[in-house]
Amino acid sequence: MNQVGNVGLIAALAFAVYGIVAGAVGGKLRSLRVVRSAERSALAFFVLITLAVVALEAQIMSNDFHNAYVAAHSNRDLPTYYKFAVLWAGQEGSLLFWTWLLSIYGGAAVLLNRRKNRQLIPYVVAILMATGTFFAGITFFVANPFSELSVVTAAGTQPFAPVDGNGLNPLLQYHSMVIHPPMLYLGYVGFVVPFAFAMAALITRQLGDNWIRTTRRWTMVPWMFLGVGILLGGRWAYSVLGWGGYWGWDPVENASLLPWLSGTAFLHSVMIQEKRGMLKVWNIVLVITTFFLCIFGTFLTRSGIVSSVHAFAQSNIGPVFAVFLGILLFFSVSLLFLRLEYLKSENKLDSMVSRESGFLFNNWILLAAVFAVLWGTIFPVISKAVQDVTVTVGAPYFNRVAIPIGLLLLFLTGAGPLLAWRKTSFQSLKRNFTLPLAVAVVVGAILFFSGVRHFYAWMSLFLSAFVAVCILQEFYKGARTRQQTGGEHFLQAIYNLTMFNTRRYGGYVIHLGMVLLFVGFAGQAFQTEKKGLMQQGDELRVKDYVLRCRSIETGDTPNYAFQRLTLDVSKDGRALGTLEPDRRFFKASQQPTSRVAIRSALSEDLYTVLAGQDPDTNKAIVEVFVNPLVAWVWIGGFVVFLGTLLAMVPSRVERQMAEIRQAQEEAVRAHDAI
Amino acid sequence: MRFRSTTTLLFAVLLTATATRADDARPTVESISERVMCICGCVATLNHCPHPESECSMRAEMTKLIKTQIAGGKTEEAILQDFVERYGVKVLAAPPGKGFNLAAWVLPGLGLILGLACVMVIVRRWRQPSAVTASATPRPDPKVLAAVEEEMKRSGLGIRD
Repeated sequence: MNQVGNVGLIAALAFAVYGIVAGAVGGKLRSLRVVRSAERSALAFFVLITLAVVALEAQIMSNDFHNAYVAAHSNRDLPTYYKFAVLWAGQEGSLLFWTWLLSIYGGAAVLLNRRKNRQLIPYVVAILMATGTFFAGITFFVANPFSELSVVTAAGTQPFAPVDGNGLNPLLQYHSMVIHPPMLYLGYVGFVVPFAFAMAALITRQLGDNWIRTTRRWTMVPWMFLGVGILLGGRWAYSVLGWGGYWGWDPVENASLLPWLSGTAFLHSVMIQEKRGMLKVWNIVLVITTFFLCIFGTFLTRSGIVSSVHAFAQSNIGPVFAVFLGILLFFSVSLLFLRLEYLKSENKLDSMVSRESGFLFNNWILLAAVFAVLWGTIFPVISKAVQDVTVTVGAPYFNRVAIPIGLLLLFLTGAGPLLAWRKTSFQSLKRNFTLPLAVAVVVGAILFFSGVRHFYAWMSLFLSAFVAVCILQEFYKGARTRQQTGGEHFLQAIYNLTMFNTRRYGGYVIHLGMVLLFVGFAGQAFQTEKKGLMQQGDELRVKDYVLRCRSIETGDTPNYAFQRLTLDVSKDGRALGTLEPDRRFFKASQQPTSRVAIRSALSEDLYTVLAGQDPDTNKAIVEVFVNPLVAWVWIGGFVVFLGTLLAMVPSRVERQMAEIRQAQEEAVRAHDAI
Repeated sequence: MRFRSTTTLLFAVLLTATATRADDARPTVESISERVMCICGCVATLNHCPHPESECSMRAEMTKLIKTQIAGGKTEEAILQDFVERYGVKVLAAPPGKGFNLAAWVLPGLGLILGLACVMVIVRRWRQPSAVTASATPRPDPKVLAAVEEEMKRSGLGIRD
């Protein structure tokens, strides 16, 4: 199987190199035959990388410990669904996984554009295959997942297989870890497609709004996956790390947030180019920045240049990544400078108070957030280089720097969409802002008099109320207009309104999801924590909750031994059920972990951790957190996900426009053929 | 104008809030645990160390030290200073705001302000009617336009709105 995997990798590498040459030559010579050949090389790249992935999964599933990677990251008693996750549990496997996802995106880009974007596609394939060459090359030459274990004996070097493997890192043995990394990788990798289209547009000088229109959905897909991945990562941290929170501003967390932020900026600024033909240079810069940050994030996670609680796949591949980042930046920025004359703005700004300026401010805030988070993340490296002193930049820093920026962004989330294109009159501002502001003031006053004095939490809830009303008001106004003019039922009017312009109203749903996320974030300020020692029959009081220890039992499974605490939970004398936090000792890796038990409600989570055994009293150490509003983080994330799906559905207007464009392209092709 | 004033006010309030920090006179284990890193190698603040105290000797030792110092009547800053002397400056979860480390704190704010200045300059420039651009961009000949439209109609390509 190792040979099969290696053959798949090296053949894929050859096809990727061929794809670069054929794409570039085919594009230059405008030879359909060569271009089709380049496209087929991208499909062959996908098939061969898939072969390598299947070979590695087969080895993992069959416990083939001749393979060094399988022996290092799996074991016989690992449940099957976690065995799938072994593919991305270590450096070599996760790089192969990265390459496989890239090949899927590349194949999809080729297949979905067989009749569209014909001038761009040769160069799109060349760029995709250049990235594929780097990743397939690094997987084959530097971090090969198909190396065999061997021992040196008197008879020479012999193949060797241990009786059992080292097992999967216990922290990764959690259900969301089976889905979290693929989501995150789908996000990171997917931004290669908009990047490839942007570079192809620069090379071919086709810098109208065609590449922008084409790449919008190709940007939304990875943006959505990255968002889901970040959120699942938060859910994993919340359920596994046992400190009661979901976001710790760890470098790896930050690395995933950076391209999401710049991708968000691109998804907004792209609208100005489509509507007004402005910000053309800026949009290219944002696409380059986003892809750069994706690779930079991967580099940061794997090179070990910064310490992280999430870094499970570190090695010395840093220099290779640094070279690739350098080439990527040099190539894309040079190309941008060479094409500046084709990227002139078609319009001027009519007013300071307009949708266009709203988007500019939105981009300013998002990029400020990117800079602040990036600066904080790499500052320890800079400090070491400049003053030879190791410093830590952790949550206290990011909370002080990033929260105000986040709140400004929240404000614009509500205010921006209420501004009209070109110019917004004072009357319009008054009409649109009065109700949201009034509701926000009432909510703010209620919160203040209820005792909410934490400034950021108060501000977050105040702005959330403002933005929520801004968004709901837009739905209401649109539906009312349809009701009055078309006589539709209100709910039917909402549905038709949304489907008529899915992009706009999908965007509003995303904004509503962001509001819910901020409501959840605000709750973090009111966390309550208590620690206690318990044995059977003991009680622990936290806020209004009473936790009574019903039993402490121990047990054994093939994969781990465990100690489990059963807690009867009641609140104000009313029984709420039981919680069973446990502590597991994984046999293969010889590592312990805690598995928290959570009672989740919309108002607050009761979060319990069995943190070990007190050596003096032999009692169980129990940590309990009451986390207000956390559920809204997950609900908000789900709403953002739904909104993104909605925004990707072609609206009625878009479908009609697409039909017209296709007819035009076919007519042009027919004309060219004659 | 009012919109601009409201935005400026909001911005000022947020910046002021960033610059000030509630300074609790009485330190607690929690308030200090979130400002120092656990040095067991977990790369987390002391209150977020994923290892329980019973298994993490450093977490237990550091927590005990905090309790002792609080009992001794030390202020939060004095306790943090003591930690720096024992474990080095990397024990602090955020770099101290002096010397080169000041750059960590100042640059994000500076970036925000410079970014705003750039946006304002761009907006002002884009709002100015540019005589050069207006004269340099040739207006299409109406006769040519009419001929193109006629040709597009005949070839069935339609006219883009």
